[in-house]
Amino acid sequence: MNALEGLAALLLVAGSSFFLAGTVGLLRFPDALSRLHALTKADNVGLLLICSGLGVLAGSLQTAGMLLLVWLLAMLAATVSAHLIAGRALADDTPELPGEQDDTP
Amino acid sequence: MTVLLPAVVVFLLLNLVAGLWRVYTGPSAADRMLSALLFGSTTVAILLLLAQWQDSPALRVAALLFVMLAAITSIAFVAMVQGGAARRQPATRANGTKS
Amino acid sequence: MSLAIDLLIATGLVVLAWQALVGGSLFRGIVMFIVFGLTMALAWARLGSPDLAMAEAAIGAGVTGALLMIAYWRLRALGANRPAPRSPLRARVALGVGLLSAVLVAMIGLAAVGAIGPGGEAGQALAEALPATGLGNPITGVLVIFRNLDTLLEVAVLLAAYVASRAVMGDDKAALPLPPAQDAPLVGALVAVLAPLAVLVAIYLLKAGSQLPGGAFQAGAVLAAGGVLLMLAGRLHPAPLCGVGLRIALVAGTVVFSGVGLIMLALGQPLLAIPGTWAVYLIETAMMISIGATLVLLFAGSAGLTGTPRR
Repeated sequence: MNALEGLAALLLVAGSSFFLAGTVGLLRFPDALSRLHALTKADNVGLLLICSGLGVLAGSLQTAGMLLLVWLLAMLAATVSAHLIAGRALADDTPELPGEQDDTP
Repeated sequence: MTVLLPAVVVFLLLNLVAGLWRVYTGPSAADRMLSALLFGSTTVAILLLLAQWQDSPALRVAALLFVMLAAITSIAFVAMVQGGAARRQPATRANGTKS
Repeated sequence: MSLAIDLLIATGLVVLAWQALVGGSLFRGIVMFIVFGLTMALAWARLGSPDLAMAEAAIGAGVTGALLMIAYWRLRALGANRPAPRSPLRARVALGVGLLSAVLVAMIGLAAVGAIGPGGEAGQALAEALPATGLGNPITGVLVIFRNLDTLLEVAVLLAAYVASRAVMGDDKAALPLPPAQDAPLVGALVAVLAPLAVLVAIYLLKAGSQLPGGAFQAGAVLAAGGVLLMLAGRLHPAPLCGVGLRIALVAGTVVFSGVGLIMLALGQPLLAIPGTWAVYLIETAMMISIGATLVLLFAGSAGLTGTPRR
């Protein structure tokens, strides 16, 4: 394993650990806003580290550009989604249809 | 690398399985949407890893499509809530803080 | 290691499908279905079908998720006090249909086990005939040249679906207008980036589809996702009438595809013979436009679209 592969491995493992942190936060944190806080780490940093690791591994500028584009778009989507869902979680006053399990906050 | 890439894929898949618990229990609709959001980015990461491991560049395009369109469901989710609330109580958003 | 990946995906798919259908919370079922779509894309990736992974991504993330969300909202708006009636007859019919589906799935599974892979007769014939067409993507070759009657009928089915939706909805029951997005600045910024990007990516997929995975169906689905985004952001609205441009877009795929086929028949060639790569691009472009327009209109549930809202 050469130095580049070692760097890629490091980045991939670090990225996975951020995804793990996101999942643990999603499962363990007490309310929707805290959970949102946890999962944005996985969204932003985890995906960035995995993309960087894969970019190092791919060794082609075109592939690296594609990975960068994926990450930038993921940031855009995650920002908008997180903002919208957080607003919904704050203003949550609509239970689900009756006859279902309660879905109030 | 031929071992690490699939190992990371398995690890991320196990993360997804664990995250399913949050989709199942909720309790609020926003919680379920949040989990779907995390699932989306994890799936994209797995697709990118598979693209490298299986030497299939087209999977990167599939990952690109997922991230590009990921926000659409969230916007529909919020539109749904606002529409549903507005229909019964037109002024509900004006002081729409958590009760 | 690859066995572990495949087992996790396969088990996950079964569990998610079950959870998407089982009772409890309707919204939970919707989210389970969205996650099912994500996992299905992974399954296609593992099966070596990036074309299908792309289609799943475009349809699942761009159209179905939003469709189910809006359907859920309309269900609430229509009357949250009416739980679905449960009659013993329906349960019996459902049981019968379920058993029939199980038998069908088992038969398909058995056939798949015994099926001949790409090395079989049809696969070899395809591999030999493909270079002469100038196409590099065997799936586009099958769709547009070798089995193009099927594809033509698929495009016609989409058109029929639109007509059927008009028949069911009727003009008096025009679709409920979508509520305008509240967080307009942020959603507006997203639209400013994504709407042009969707067009660009659709054209890329169409262009790449001749040599690489991609093609008219994926490109059309991406265009449709762009249209859905415009509708959700309040830039496009349902309209009671279908404009001339939209009508042309709806029938373009069927007309161009069958037109090329009939012209070749008139020139003494077999029906639906494809004269060259340019014809493949022409047909795929028309199909992309039709698929995109039909999917957006099916999402809107209206006859047409307009930039300015009614009322």
